[in-house]
Amino acid sequence: MARLKFLGSGLLVLALSLALVGCNGNDNGADKQGSVSGNSGGEVSGKLEPITISAFIKSANQQPTADNRIYKKIKDELGVTLKMEFLVGDLQQKLGVMIAGGDYPDIITGDTKLVGAKAVIPLEDLIEQHAPNLKKHYEKSWNRMKDSSDGHIYWLPNTGVFTGEVTATTHSGPAFWIQKEVLKEAGYPKLKTLDDYLKLIRDYAVKHPEIDGQPTIPFTTFASESKMFPLVNAPEHLAGYPNDGNVIVDNGVATVFSDKEISKRYYKELNTLYNEGLLDKEAFVQNYDQYLAKLSSGRVLGMFDQQWNFSKATEALVAQNKGNRTYVGIPLVYDSNIKDYYRDRSVANLNNGFGITKDAKDPVRIIKFLDTLITEDWQKLLNWGEKDIDYKVDENGLFYRTQEQREQQADPTWKLANKAEAFLAQAPKWEGTYSDGNASSPGGQPGEFYEVLKPWDKEVLDAYGYKSWTEFFSPAPENPVYYPAWQISLLDGSPAAIANKQMNDASLKFLPKVIMSKQDQFESTWNEYVNAFKKINVKAYEDRINEQIQWRIENWTNK
Amino acid sequence: MADISMATQPEKDAFFFHSRPSLLKRMSGQKQLILMSLPVLAYVLLFSYYPIWGWSMAFQDYTPIKDFTEQTWVGFKHFKFLFSDSVFLTVLRNTLAMSFINMMLGFVTSIILALLLNEVKVKWFKRSIQTISYLPHFLSWIIVTGIVANVLTVDNGILNVVLMKLGFIDEPIMWLSNPKYFWAIVGASHVWKDLGWGTIIYLAAITSIDPSLYEAADIDGANRYQKMWNITLPGIKSIIVILLIMNLGWILNAGFEVQYLLGNGVVVDWSQTIDIFVLKYGLQVGNYSLATAAGIFKTVVSIVMIAGANAISKRLGEERLV
Amino acid sequence: MRTNKYQLEPVVFQTFNIMFMILIAVVTLYPFLNTIAISLNAGNDTIRGGIYLWPRVWTDQNYRAVFAGGTLLHAFWISVARTVLHTVLALFVTSMLAYSLSRKEYVFRKPMTIIVIMTMYFSAGLIPHYFLIRDLHLVNSFLVYIIPGLVSAYNMIIIRTYIQTLPEGLIESAKIDGAGDFRTFMSIILPLCQPVLATVALFVAVSQWNSWFDTFLYASSKQELSTLQYELMKLLSSSMNLNSSSAVTNGGSAMEGTHEVVTPASIRAAITIVASVPIIIVYPFLQKYFVHGMQLGSVKE
Repeated sequence: MARLKFLGSGLLVLALSLALVGCNGNDNGADKQGSVSGNSGGEVSGKLEPITISAFIKSANQQPTADNRIYKKIKDELGVTLKMEFLVGDLQQKLGVMIAGGDYPDIITGDTKLVGAKAVIPLEDLIEQHAPNLKKHYEKSWNRMKDSSDGHIYWLPNTGVFTGEVTATTHSGPAFWIQKEVLKEAGYPKLKTLDDYLKLIRDYAVKHPEIDGQPTIPFTTFASESKMFPLVNAPEHLAGYPNDGNVIVDNGVATVFSDKEISKRYYKELNTLYNEGLLDKEAFVQNYDQYLAKLSSGRVLGMFDQQWNFSKATEALVAQNKGNRTYVGIPLVYDSNIKDYYRDRSVANLNNGFGITKDAKDPVRIIKFLDTLITEDWQKLLNWGEKDIDYKVDENGLFYRTQEQREQQADPTWKLANKAEAFLAQAPKWEGTYSDGNASSPGGQPGEFYEVLKPWDKEVLDAYGYKSWTEFFSPAPENPVYYPAWQISLLDGSPAAIANKQMNDASLKFLPKVIMSKQDQFESTWNEYVNAFKKINVKAYEDRINEQIQWRIENWTNK
Repeated sequence: MADISMATQPEKDAFFFHSRPSLLKRMSGQKQLILMSLPVLAYVLLFSYYPIWGWSMAFQDYTPIKDFTEQTWVGFKHFKFLFSDSVFLTVLRNTLAMSFINMMLGFVTSIILALLLNEVKVKWFKRSIQTISYLPHFLSWIIVTGIVANVLTVDNGILNVVLMKLGFIDEPIMWLSNPKYFWAIVGASHVWKDLGWGTIIYLAAITSIDPSLYEAADIDGANRYQKMWNITLPGIKSIIVILLIMNLGWILNAGFEVQYLLGNGVVVDWSQTIDIFVLKYGLQVGNYSLATAAGIFKTVVSIVMIAGANAISKRLGEERLV
Repeated sequence: MRTNKYQLEPVVFQTFNIMFMILIAVVTLYPFLNTIAISLNAGNDTIRGGIYLWPRVWTDQNYRAVFAGGTLLHAFWISVARTVLHTVLALFVTSMLAYSLSRKEYVFRKPMTIIVIMTMYFSAGLIPHYFLIRDLHLVNSFLVYIIPGLVSAYNMIIIRTYIQTLPEGLIESAKIDGAGDFRTFMSIILPLCQPVLATVALFVAVSQWNSWFDTFLYASSKQELSTLQYELMKLLSSSMNLNSSSAVTNGGSAMEGTHEVVTPASIRAAITIVASVPIIIVYPFLQKYFVHGMQLGSVKE
């Protein structure tokens, strides 16, 4: 009488799925065997024994397709199959488990924690003996690459190592941004100080209370736990300091500035704007999507931000044919006698890039492999692609891309099968120019830049007599030795790391209050903020930064 | 027959082998029950209890870099950090409040929906509503909070538009920057997301009610509401009580995603929960020890809560957990 | 007067009830339809906001991006397999335990119940768990999806509570007929528990289907074991990553109008639809086990 229908049907499905899993498993096994035997069969010399290098990459990327053109070339010519695992979820969690388990891939992307865990091996001898090209590539950065804990080199910085001429055409870093339309209406004035800028915005907002039928938002800002910089970094630039993150550095001594006078002056200006009704009321409540949506509507006249943080909004504006509402970056300062320091020279991306783990079977082979890839021909292949397929060469030997090729490059599906982006992003690479004068990657190629310039962009540049967006800024001076301080890592769970969190919390909590207070209450709310900082062990944070700055000055100057 | 002093807690004493002969005899008659449950118990011990050695981390400055034997022991340092931080009380209050609001709103709305669904006689309609109402459960919090933020925005947010059209307010309300609305917004978001999902269990429980009870009530001339109140509700009372007790054990788990995604600097004193605090000062800075200490604290609170709730329920003669 | 009210009430009640249900349906359907609309709308247009129920700029780009990797189909079958196997096993083990612990005469009932219930309220933490899984040689094995987490105290209690509402006489009469506990469980309890088993099956299946963290921890380096959710998590993380950093390295490319048509918000929408539709259709299928009082009648005969 009893009915087991429910269980029965379940078991049936179970049996079916077992069969399916079985099938799939078999398919895979067969595939693998096929490729392995195919490989070893094709191999002749013992020197290039095919190997598989496993890699863990700390950024999230999509797995390239199995028949990816570039990875296939690497495999065919260098005998190396790359087996990459990309991060999903939280990096610290992943590394914690990896370290606790003590099981590593052959190569892994940089994190100071791994040095502490002795998971990675020193590279300097390997490079000296087996990798002349890498040695040359990193020559200028060699001392900087040494770990401050024991003086060994563990990581091969992936970016910031320049060769030849640096051709920057756009500014992707911090700036005060203003709509091209606002500049145009005012007759393209030269803006130098925050006052100039705010006056321009005020005038425009009064004349145009609405844009496309919606209320104009003269100025906005953005702050969230993961992105504090649009709110808290502006003062250091206004005061003429470079981007050192949470600190300004005078004579090699770093000081936290968020609660100091240079910040107060900026927030006072924002407070005034707010009380005039010119600061976005929802600035501190909006989420990132809402922030981008606002910028994309074309009714935000200006903000302080880094270009890459809102580039999606720029694209959306262009797609709507509102190019006149896209932004120009201006290096504002408090007073006209201050020299702007928004642009900096790139520095080797320390503690980043690949390291070789203690579990790697053949470190020599790995370093030789990376050494081959840093040669010019391979760099061209990785950055530009294959000649005639991915780019063309004109009669002067300059590389360029056709419209069709450019569109291909924007197609994520195509890229998975035809580019080695995920690996290249972490690998040692050339930046600047090749020996034949071409830019290391298409984005830096002057021809490529002008090709994609829109009429409204040309109009702005012509009005100011500039050829590129970077000319709005003072050229980057030689970096201070220690620069940049934001790159200094805080040790896990240390008082400095905790103080950093607490400072961020205090800024997120009190700065909105300060800025949105009534004008006569500005002083008292500002004092609340300063008092909140007094309760934090700011000194622990500054001490860590200063100790590292000193270390850098000692160890990096005698280069 | 049994010792009088032991008669008050017969089961417990039996377990501790005080009355050996009768226990062995009872066990031999329950061979099948033992076979059915003991392997499962062994499984639970292995997968849930054995790893508890990890709690020792709470008393160390644990770092995965070193072996377990090489860790530095620091006593109650992390507990002290947790409890002595000035925001701890605020965070505890927010956690308790939001957890309680979410739980109560969740229970009441799900039960009401289950009762009302039970009154829908058209089968396809009932099933469609069930299926549709459980859809939001499958959306991640980031999607749901994205929609919530857009509904509440000052700029043409639908809630402000409707309230203004109806004349309730003169100018848009800044819902997300006013601390006094935050708990309500979180509660409402939870209801929205999990209303339909929550009813499933009650709908299943309703099926166990003997239909003859309704027939008898019909004969007595009971109306719809009397039947709901006197038959359906008592029929699912045991599951309601059990779920309530179990959920009380999670009173310190108000979650972190919603609060993290909807919160902002302006309302942080009302939005931050224990989990967010631990995430920030524990996991995000690689401090596993603090996270473990917080976990132990939560476990202690859970045990006190369920033991208390279970005892009260027992005294009231209701269903209980143990 | 009285009769009048008697006839009117059901109509009024049903009308209001149905209107209320429609309201619920509208409110709960909206976020889903909104997600579908966003998934079909061009990414760089979605950034502007204002997409509600209908896409403004139609595209299949988001779905094409989801399927571009070519790994989804295999991962889908792994997901199906783990969900089905785990659910069936968990259901069996959990209900067996629930039955044992529902028997008032069982000598170990109380201590065992306490031991099991406690598991709901503590967690040993990530790292000790990882060690356990590693020592059991479950890392990079399909069994890591099946074996851990089979016994959920919550589900056990739900089933136990349901069993306890069943008439005790049924079990006693089975015992009198000479059936042991196992046979009673298999032939009387299980069939009677269809509604609650369907409920718990849904709970288990949904959590299995949605989980990606175990793949992340225990099987991330083995592509053959990747699940649908994990593949989609990878995709989502990579699209977020793209948003935050690619422009830095690619200098000028951000100026191109055609650059990166897929954005995190739109890819997330497409992913949500791809990930949830297969599991959503489980519920309507299970609903047929939610039948009022049917089983009791059939057993009584």
